Amino acid sequence: MQGLHMVAVHHAYGSTAVLNNISFTVPAGELVCLLGPSGCGKTTLLRIAAGMERLQAGSVIIDEEVVADATIHVPPEERRIGYMFQDYALFPHLSVLDNVTFGLFRRDRVTAKERAMEMLDQVGMARHAARFPHMLSGGQQQRVALARALAPEPRLFLLDEPFSGLDTGMRSRVRAETLAVLKRNNVATLMVTHDPQEAMFMADRIKVMGANGRILQTGAPADIYHKPVDEYVAHLFGDMNMFEARVEHGQLISSFGAIAADAAVEGTIVRVLIRPEGMTLSNTDGSNTDGGGPQGGGALVDILSAHLLGNSSLVRFRVRDGINGGAEFHVRVPGSFDLTEIGPIWARVDPDHIFLYPLA
Amino acid sequence: MAKITPSFEIEVETIDNDHRRLVDFTNQITAAIDDQQYAECARLVPDFIALSKRHFAREEALLDKFDYPGIDQHRQHHAGLDDKMETMLTLAGRVEDNRLARETLRREVFFFLMDDVINEDMDFKKFLVDARSKEK
Repeated sequence: MQGLHMVAVHHAYGSTAVLNNISFTVPAGELVCLLGPSGCGKTTLLRIAAGMERLQAGSVIIDEEVVADATIHVPPEERRIGYMFQDYALFPHLSVLDNVTFGLFRRDRVTAKERAMEMLDQVGMARHAARFPHMLSGGQQQRVALARALAPEPRLFLLDEPFSGLDTGMRSRVRAETLAVLKRNNVATLMVTHDPQEAMFMADRIKVMGANGRILQTGAPADIYHKPVDEYVAHLFGDMNMFEARVEHGQLISSFGAIAADAAVEGTIVRVLIRPEGMTLSNTDGSNTDGGGPQGGGALVDILSAHLLGNSSLVRFRVRDGINGGAEFHVRVPGSFDLTEIGPIWARVDPDHIFLYPLA
Repeated sequence: MAKITPSFEIEVETIDNDHRRLVDFTNQITAAIDDQQYAECARLVPDFIALSKRHFAREEALLDKFDYPGIDQHRQHHAGLDDKMETMLTLAGRVEDNRLARETLRREVFFFLMDDVINEDMDFKKFLVDARSKEK
């Protein structure tokens, strides 16, 4: 099968296991992202795939060739892998064109130059071919690094926090361009990041890694965002509100009213997590709702603050009474939120946006 | 094209046979998409899902028999795949007239096969091989 396959990889530093029986596949043309906190082993996995770290147990297969197992260790330079790291590592004394041509030493000068120019054209840098790295912006250097890495037509492409050195505006532009180029070149790509938004934007499949050196959840970005397997994964993808609720007759009972919860165990107290966009504020209570919107009457709340964030506002509020009385939450509302014109406000929970977990 | 090379064998015949049949289905689904045989693709996906479910049941029975300590976790993993299987069925119903559905289905079927079925089973390979050799 074309692509990267890591099978039952186990790795330890001394007596500390950093990778615990990890298996995954990156098919050709797809981008798989390893997402996790510092120290979870994601960069070690990348280094093992590259051959920069010697495999201790398991096997690494690239395009049906076993490049590492108990007896085999194909050195990095023979694995046909492209890399792009946070520091672009361009040669400062070489022009942009020579930087890209550098890795094409197996080709004759003419075809190497043609290929380099083709890649520079793909990343929109052909007109800068004669310049030197110090004459380029960070984003331009990143594009040259991408062209250089893809020029030898690698069968696997590795990205290690590749955009973290760029400022916010530049980062989103460069990563969109990078993704387009990677897709056009149909290369299997493994990317490491600790930035959930970056993972969601770039990846066909995300693998969330935990501190125990295991993969906690694998899925398409939408799967992981909407169905996090546990509280840790839920929190990883952004702010969460939390409250406790009692399960009675298949419903969650809380200050926010009764919410359908078929999956919860009757009679237990559960922890409810909900993202800020899963709550709504309104100036009417919900006693007359027809069931078409959020269930229950909602909780009467006091607004504590509102911050305009551009096209939305983040509003903090405190629940007045009931089981969750005194608890503070935040909700994202469209546009600005005028604190001066408000009367009583009720907060409601959208049952489609809640995640339930048993109390630890 | 997907295929089972020795690295992906669990070394338990029933499980490896299931994996091979699932690989065949994956290749047939991919070929049906490539050949624009969308009705065939829509027919294959439910069979692929049905075989996956039977495979999960067989596997759980086997792990149960050998008292695999991680069986609850593996059962949970299987249960957690229901949504993905539903998504594939939904996509299969849309392949006829939706390019994105075709691309997504092709990707999801392959990832499901490799990551969710075969790679996950690597977790218990060593345990099962050891347990079966003791049994002999």
